[in-house]
Amino acid sequence: MNEILKFKDVKYFYQTKTDEIFALNNINFQIEREEFVSIVGPSGCGKTTLLSLTAGLLKPSSGEILFEEQNKTDPSKIGYMFQRDYLFDWRSVWKNITLGIEIQKPKDKEEKLAKADELLKKYGLYSFKDLKPRSLSGGMRQRVALIRTLAVEPELLLLDEPFSALDFQTRIEVCDDVYSIIKNEHKTALLVTHDISEALSMSDKIIVLSSRPASVKDVIYPNLSGKTPLEKRESTKFPTLFNKIWSELTNEK
Amino acid sequence: MKNEKHTNFSVAHKKYLKRLKKDSFIIIFFRIFVLVAFIGLWELLTQIGVLDSFFTSSPSRIIKQIIVLAKNGTLVSHSLITLYETLVGFAIATILGYVIAILLWWNEKVRKIFEPYIVVLNSLPKIALGPVIILWVGAGTKAIVLMCVLICIVITTMTMLSAFMSVENGQILLLKSMGANKFQIFLKLVLPASMPDFISVLKINVGMSWVGSIMGEYLTSKAGLGYLIVYGGQIFKIDLVMASTTILCVLAFGMYYLVSLLERKYRK
Repeated sequence: MNEILKFKDVKYFYQTKTDEIFALNNINFQIEREEFVSIVGPSGCGKTTLLSLTAGLLKPSSGEILFEEQNKTDPSKIGYMFQRDYLFDWRSVWKNITLGIEIQKPKDKEEKLAKADELLKKYGLYSFKDLKPRSLSGGMRQRVALIRTLAVEPELLLLDEPFSALDFQTRIEVCDDVYSIIKNEHKTALLVTHDISEALSMSDKIIVLSSRPASVKDVIYPNLSGKTPLEKRESTKFPTLFNKIWSELTNEK
Repeated sequence: MKNEKHTNFSVAHKKYLKRLKKDSFIIIFFRIFVLVAFIGLWELLTQIGVLDSFFTSSPSRIIKQIIVLAKNGTLVSHSLITLYETLVGFAIATILGYVIAILLWWNEKVRKIFEPYIVVLNSLPKIALGPVIILWVGAGTKAIVLMCVLICIVITTMTMLSAFMSVENGQILLLKSMGANKFQIFLKLVLPASMPDFISVLKINVGMSWVGSIMGEYLTSKAGLGYLIVYGGQIFKIDLVMASTTILCVLAFGMYYLVSLLERKYRK
């Protein structure tokens, strides 16, 4: 295994007219290829900032972010999945999924389109291909958003609480789906969540952040038995780890 | 899941459909009734002498007047002149206003610099510029088209700019995370997302461009429907005023109808 992403002493300040907000303080961590990593932390601690930095939407105030050992981000290698699906109403499901390919105009466009087509078939959305997103349910929309993220074949997936807008049952189902899709496609994922059980059931590694200014408080390797996130929730170690992270987060206040 | 179109409706559903049908019948009936009653009453009151048709004209006299105008060719020539002025003004204002809105959206500084001027220009009654316009471009078609453009352009820019600005920020971030440049953000997101607002701008401009061209013709013209109206007023020929106004109504409605066809096509 080799590392795909590395944060080295990253600090970030938000500038506003009246204030300077110290969001991230000396963040250090790394992610290996095909690893599923979650970041948990108290709300407002700068989890989303961390993803924006990784995606290159923000630049660190100091420190370095290395992606594949390079000090620059490549949008075609990073797929960002947001809290909301942000599907374009005027485009069909297919046109939404191929949006990234349309923007990036990769050299192997035909292959990527074929791959997107295959993803749709594989994950049961093919018959909805020509429909507009408004006729899909919340869970399906989120699945379309995931396939849109995967269609550009990124090396690293950034997931910003992608399930938080869904109701509980759909959330568990989509969680299972997303997990198996990411594992099947051999992708690396960085998930931001405030839901401890979600982080535990999906991740190989959990990074616990402190409250603002956030720094890495703990790194946990859950190593739970079970194949799917749902099965992992049944694991005997689950409650112990849950309590451990819970106390780490609540000690903050 | 595709809904199977089923045909064996329940009694309640049949009742519901029947009521819908009845409601729409009532609406259409009274719509026509209002028009017929208005025209009929107008005609009747002038026939029995309650209204003086010298001042109010009457439907039959308007029709006679239109026939006269049609026969001697003035109907077509005057209508075409006004239609031409309106369409040219409409097109210039819509395109130019849209382009200005894009420029303002593109550059935040430019937008902030010009924002107060646009607000002032919007509240200025453009007709006040009439005499200046004639001094600048001379009396005639140019002045009329310019009046039309001035009336439509500010509202076009303002509406489109606010539509561009109200695009969901998260969707912009999504495109940025895919590596999109500003031009792609405009083309793939901002332009299609603001289409409904563009169609309402077109609808507003249909009305406003007619205001512009008729206003322009009031100020300075030797031909056109606005000219006929002013001329008719000056020689106390209310039939001519009313006939021209009727033709104006038909033309403006026709233009509005074309825009709504476009809207229907877009909605599909």
